[in-house]
Amino acid sequence: MIFNSLNFALFFTIVFLLYWLVFNKTAKSQNLLLLLASIFFYAVADWKFISLLAASGFVNFYLAKKIAQEEDESKARKFYFYSGIIFNIGVLLYFKYFNFFIQSFVDLFNYGGGHISFTPFHILLPLGISFITFQLIGYLIDVNNEEIEPINDQLGFFAYLTYFPKILSGPIERVKNFMPQIEKRREFDPGIAMDGLRQILWGLFKKLVIADNCLAVVDVIFNDYGNLPGSTLLIGAVLYSIGLYADFSGFADMACGISKLLNIRITNNFAFPFFSTNIGQFWRKWHISLTSWMMDYVYTPLSFILRRYKKTGLIASVLFTFVLVGLWHGANWTFVVFGLFHGLYFIPLILRGTMSKNEVIANGKLIPSISEFTRMAMLFLLVAVTTVFFRSNDVFEAFSYLNILFSGSLLSIPQDINPGGNLALQHPVVLIGLIGSFFLVEWIGRCGEYGLANIAQKYSRLARWSIYGSIIFLIGMFMRTTETPFIYIRF
Amino acid sequence: MEKSDILEKVREILISILKHENFELRDDLVASDVDGWDSLSHMAIIVAIEEKFDITFKLKELNKLTNLGALTGLIQSKVSGS
Repeated sequence: MIFNSLNFALFFTIVFLLYWLVFNKTAKSQNLLLLLASIFFYAVADWKFISLLAASGFVNFYLAKKIAQEEDESKARKFYFYSGIIFNIGVLLYFKYFNFFIQSFVDLFNYGGGHISFTPFHILLPLGISFITFQLIGYLIDVNNEEIEPINDQLGFFAYLTYFPKILSGPIERVKNFMPQIEKRREFDPGIAMDGLRQILWGLFKKLVIADNCLAVVDVIFNDYGNLPGSTLLIGAVLYSIGLYADFSGFADMACGISKLLNIRITNNFAFPFFSTNIGQFWRKWHISLTSWMMDYVYTPLSFILRRYKKTGLIASVLFTFVLVGLWHGANWTFVVFGLFHGLYFIPLILRGTMSKNEVIANGKLIPSISEFTRMAMLFLLVAVTTVFFRSNDVFEAFSYLNILFSGSLLSIPQDINPGGNLALQHPVVLIGLIGSFFLVEWIGRCGEYGLANIAQKYSRLARWSIYGSIIFLIGMFMRTTETPFIYIRF
Repeated sequence: MEKSDILEKVREILISILKHENFELRDDLVASDVDGWDSLSHMAIIVAIEEKFDITFKLKELNKLTNLGALTGLIQSKVSGS
């Protein structure tokens, strides 16, 4: 039941009406409805793992309370804390990485002359496990560090953990951001609800018009990359980067918008990442909840331990953190290499001492300077190269793709790719026009929370509704007839 | 050590690492208010403070810091305790 399906529209309409008309008397009744709706939502997607979700929730709920009851630095406190961390990592390792690590070990052993065979275990991946587990680990760490109090309200805790707008693809929401909002009764706010609808509309446009069409072309290119020139493969990598961004940030916009209709704010995972001039800036704007989680719980402790090694310590910490960022996405070496590349991109910044330079692009101006535009374009291409690893089935395929991309055929005329379907897929110029319009809207709205966020203040009612109408028209005209799942739902 | 001495030394450290002086040293100053003071530069600032004042922080202590006032308070308690 993905956000852009009729089933979800029906489900959410019922939840919305019950939430504001029937269960609206107390915070407790609102949370009860959210929990029931979330369990139903998750069960429709993956009923087999409801029990795992419940068990994991109970273990963490009680361990957090035990941690807080014990004296700081005491053995009992450490026992409860590390038991919780090991439990959560254990669940993640078993369901997501077990086959990957065993297979990698077997491959390494056989490469060294050994002869062992391994048949991967048939382990199903619970949906949303990476997002759920990271939230729970963060919760235990925050309680152990006394940054937050453990949650005593069991209903509230499970409403937080299972909250349906975020359970399958994030954001990795922090307890300290979420819980204060659901501890009190929420009241309907027409302004916030309208903003939510606007954000959903923009998310739908990103997903249905930009992502789905870009990714249809990308599929054709990646499936036949061995027979295509480098110039076409460059287009494939560029379109995949745009498609990946539109797909995931479209989902994030829809999740935030849906949540606003319930008057609950969740973290928006994106803040126009392609309008960045260095990799540090990019990661402050791309998958923000994952980056900030990794920074707080991996990079900071690691760089603290290695702080006496100065820049070497920083480089080691960044490389380790980004390899983990890559691996978080999936049990495949392609993601490890993806993360490693991003970690390596940080090294020049660390060595120059400009790693944290946070310049505002085209500050107060309509268009960026030539220098800013060049650096944005360079960074975009560097990121696009790494997304080849993200998209490929294995590392060899990715290197083979890049080998052709960076060959002499890069300078040839790109081959016409026609996956068939709507006008954007038949005529490249239409797709280019749509992508151009998309980035233009994002550029104009780059100071807001999402592309259309500020139009209520900037434009008249007539202009606003003309914009909404145009977007709905474009969605109707260019959406594909087949339903395509979100890329990040796999993680 | 007086709080004003601590603040002056912290100021020197911030300027040397962040390469600018666009901040005002108030107790309620938070890292996100200062251009360039983020999770990457934070550790360089911490090491510089440890070396300058000849003190050692615990990660837990750093995690609890909410603003500059808390940081200078922590430095003061460590300096006077050593």
